[in-house]
Amino acid sequence: MDNDDRQIIADLKQDNKRDLAFHQLVKKYQERLYWHIRKIVMSHEDADDVLQNTFIKVWKSIDRFREESSLYTWLYRIATNESLTFLNSNKRRSFMPLNDVSDYLMKNLMSDPYFEGETIQFKLQEAILKLPDKQRTVFNMKYFDEMKYDDMSKILDTSVGALKASYHHAVKKIEEYLKNTD
Amino acid sequence: MDELKEIAPKLSKIKKEQPFGVPDHYFDDFSARLQMKLEAEKRIIPNQQNRIIQFLKPALGLAASFALIFMLVYWPLKSFTPTEVVNNINTENGIPDSEYRSMVEGIDENSFYTLLDEPAQTAEISDDDLLNYLSANVSDYDIYLGTEN
Repeated sequence: MDNDDRQIIADLKQDNKRDLAFHQLVKKYQERLYWHIRKIVMSHEDADDVLQNTFIKVWKSIDRFREESSLYTWLYRIATNESLTFLNSNKRRSFMPLNDVSDYLMKNLMSDPYFEGETIQFKLQEAILKLPDKQRTVFNMKYFDEMKYDDMSKILDTSVGALKASYHHAVKKIEEYLKNTD
Repeated sequence: MDELKEIAPKLSKIKKEQPFGVPDHYFDDFSARLQMKLEAEKRIIPNQQNRIIQFLKPALGLAASFALIFMLVYWPLKSFTPTEVVNNINTENGIPDSEYRSMVEGIDENSFYTLLDEPAQTAEISDDDLLNYLSANVSDYDIYLGTEN
């Protein structure tokens, strides 16, 4: 953990410095967490809601942070859980069968005014959306964020071996989709 | 990267860029919007602690009403009703249950049934007996006072 994060955590645990330290934490991590969430929930509106919920959860549970992992890993873990919980509650609310989730997210992507990619980027997102939620998260973290497997293991609470296998399968599926839709 | 080219040549040709955008100044304003939501959350937390009290309020109200009724009705009645009346009610004209029991136990079975079959004697007092009783026990002055009222 870097010294900056250590200082933020120490300040967060003191009542008189808590608000300012939390503001620093938000400023430092808001963008990274936003993009991580956005790739899971796809639309900007949903990503904004989930990001706010993530930081509120951080605020409420900062006393339980044991500093065994880095602040960055802990924040990513909360953001990932919040995003997957959001998707699952949406599925339950709309009685969506599992296969329809990718269609729902695809609709979100198509109607999102803030999607700025070219046709090939759109096709790649379409292929990624065909993956199951957790595998999609693994692919995004490795492929786009270039995160280390060790860090991913701590965030997703999954073994490095299982993550490597999951990423490999995801790449194969995406490649297959790109070939078939050429 | 070479491995990716090998297992996914099409994917590796796609430029790795962020296809998503955000509204202008989104990240500049985010902190302020979050702060507003946090303030609202902070106000909700103490309210949640009062939730148990809110839940118990009707039951507590009902219990308080019963206590009030008890204080206003039962307690004054008990306090202001003369003790003699209460005792008379409880002991049926001043004779306690234990005395009745000893009287009944003292009578043998035959006498008991004879008593039950006999007509009541109290109503058959003759006028002469009554006059004799009054002249022996009550003076003329007492009778005069009694008839005046």
